[in-house]
Amino acid sequence: MGGAGAAATLGACAGPGSTAPKGGEGAAPATGDAKGEVSFAHWRAEDKAAFDKLIEEFQAKFPDITVEQDISPSNDYQTQALNRLKGGSAGDVFPTFRGAQFQQFVKAGVYTDLSNEDFVANYNPAMLEAGKSDGKQYGLPYQVVLPMPIANKSLLSSAGVDAPPETWDGFLDMCDKLKSKGVVPLAWPGNAPGDAGQLFNTMVMNEQPSDDACAQIEAGTMKTTDEWFVGMLKKYAELRPYFQPNAVGTVVEPLQQLFVSEKAALLCTGSYHISAVRSLGAKFDLELVPPITVNSNPKYLGSYNATFILGINAASKVQPAAVEWLRFLSDKQYAGEYANATVQNVSVAGVEYTNPDLKALAPWLEKTLMLAPRFQFNDLDIRSAVEGSCIAVVGGTDPAEAAAKAQKVIDQRI
Amino acid sequence: MTTQELTPPPAPAQTSKRRRRSATEARPTLFLFPLPALVIFTIFFAIPTLQAFQFALTDWDGYSADFNWVGVDNFVRAITADDLFANSIVNNLKFLLVVVIVQTLFSLVLGLAVLKNTRMNIGLRALFFFPTILSSVSVAFIWKFIYDPTFGLGNSILAGLAKIPQAIGIPVEPVQLAFLGNDQAAIFWVALAQCWAHIGQMMVIYVAGLQSIPGELYEAAEVDGATRWQRFVHVTWPQVAPATAIVTAYTTVQSFKAFDLILGLSGIPPKASMDIMSTRIYTTFANSQYGYAAAESIIFMALIAVVTWLQRRGLKVIQRSEES
Repeated sequence: MGGAGAAATLGACAGPGSTAPKGGEGAAPATGDAKGEVSFAHWRAEDKAAFDKLIEEFQAKFPDITVEQDISPSNDYQTQALNRLKGGSAGDVFPTFRGAQFQQFVKAGVYTDLSNEDFVANYNPAMLEAGKSDGKQYGLPYQVVLPMPIANKSLLSSAGVDAPPETWDGFLDMCDKLKSKGVVPLAWPGNAPGDAGQLFNTMVMNEQPSDDACAQIEAGTMKTTDEWFVGMLKKYAELRPYFQPNAVGTVVEPLQQLFVSEKAALLCTGSYHISAVRSLGAKFDLELVPPITVNSNPKYLGSYNATFILGINAASKVQPAAVEWLRFLSDKQYAGEYANATVQNVSVAGVEYTNPDLKALAPWLEKTLMLAPRFQFNDLDIRSAVEGSCIAVVGGTDPAEAAAKAQKVIDQRI
Repeated sequence: MTTQELTPPPAPAQTSKRRRRSATEARPTLFLFPLPALVIFTIFFAIPTLQAFQFALTDWDGYSADFNWVGVDNFVRAITADDLFANSIVNNLKFLLVVVIVQTLFSLVLGLAVLKNTRMNIGLRALFFFPTILSSVSVAFIWKFIYDPTFGLGNSILAGLAKIPQAIGIPVEPVQLAFLGNDQAAIFWVALAQCWAHIGQMMVIYVAGLQSIPGELYEAAEVDGATRWQRFVHVTWPQVAPATAIVTAYTTVQSFKAFDLILGLSGIPPKASMDIMSTRIYTTFANSQYGYAAAESIIFMALIAVVTWLQRRGLKVIQRSEES
């Protein structure tokens, strides 16, 4: 018995990495009879009802396939999904966040290669880039999020602002006017790093010397102590008077209330909160008002993120059925149903948006937007250090000091 | 032929064998009883612990088939060249200090206040114990809204307090705090939430300890003319030493494991001002640095062992000096 125990212990202590992915790494999904139970793992609990309806329609078309949603909170999904999915017991179809998680899943061999699947052509080609690695289409970025401050149009009009300002001076002037009207110009959740970091996308897009600046910071070829980055932090400092009091201690839920009750003009998170503020009772028209941090020739007028990168699990035992579910979601009719039910733009081409907010936001998709730069960071600690420097500056820290502190963390991780 | 002659004599060898088994030998089957517990312990504790030591010597990312042996590099890096890990240790020690002192003192005070088994005290004990039955995530959500600077209860109370001097004509500006947004104070606000959630639980331990003190000791002290304070110092405090040892040891371990409270208050990864060792290790795992996270975990275990040992030594020294 003792010997068996010792053997078991030693066996269990086999080298790390001995649990390689079961599926064919980077292979196309299997073909064959499309039947069985498909596990659809994701983190969008708020979309459960919309997906339930789509599943009902799908199962009517494919009676031999059932789809079960396996929903985790987004934090848990970020940290635990890889280990859950690579065994193949859950998540025959799954999404990842753009950036670190997508790259991690590709490296771990969890995605199959969708390059030759016909339904890939249903997507807007520009949006597909976020799901590619080494020239292969591993995932299909399903949602298009606009991570820019959402604004109450009637409050802007009452302050004499008829169109989103396209210069930094114009943005500060708008904030001044709103403040003099007695409303909080910028509601920003400084104590919710995930949401607070969305403002970084638009603050950095016209300040960075190259489009891959965030990747370069992570690689060590650029530094947060560089003049351009400190300059951006100084612009965060200029915004201090316009945030709600003690902004660095606020989370997002109370700010949604502040915004809905028309005590704040801009909610500095992104389009993904439109559904939430509508459900809280916001009746006013909405607009996106990104801060343009230059006074002439801005390179970008806003930012977008192509995320919820759907793929087929390499370890799935029902890959043909999983492919059918993904093909169904990629159809413009059903993608449109999802978009309008969840107030999210999607990257499937030709979708008809009937939701009034999505209709209002549609022109933004035609503008020159930058793919959200914060997701160029693959290291969570580096991203936290960089975005944390912005939060620290709003909290009163000197920009150069905050930049140096962030760079020290980065240097230790390179 | 008599009946006696017909009765076969008892077999001496069988009798002695039966007697030996029952009197001096444990039956082999008895060893099967602890087996389930032993198997569970081995699979879920012993093997993962051994594996942590193995992982700590590698740069394994948690999913790749390849890895490199890096010797003690992970330990050297964690101890000498990782400001985030050092920050988490400092935060954890601050948190520990506040929680151990505040929680121990307040639970003792509450225990003394509700010691007698009156109907009111029993009701109060239930009330004070109530937060203990809440999950840490629920506690986090309650305190998240208390600490909200815009609508939270904390700043509402501060604003209300400012109205008292204002009512008598003294112009006082209400103090409004950022609470968790203040990098220097955030960890202390988290510690306060932790104390609120667990003081009632520790109070119950003290009540049990205090109720077991013999009344004769107090009578003797009164006869000797001891004041209330002297009775507390020379009778109550030494007599509740076992309860204090339990409370401080339990509170220490709790302080190191306050993971879900931080998760609820700040998310993962938390802001640096609220990052403690458990959240730091979790973030490192989430960052696909399994080898390094394992090294951090081993340092974490060692630190808990050292702090607990120091505490027990300290308590013994205090008790000995009071007895003498």
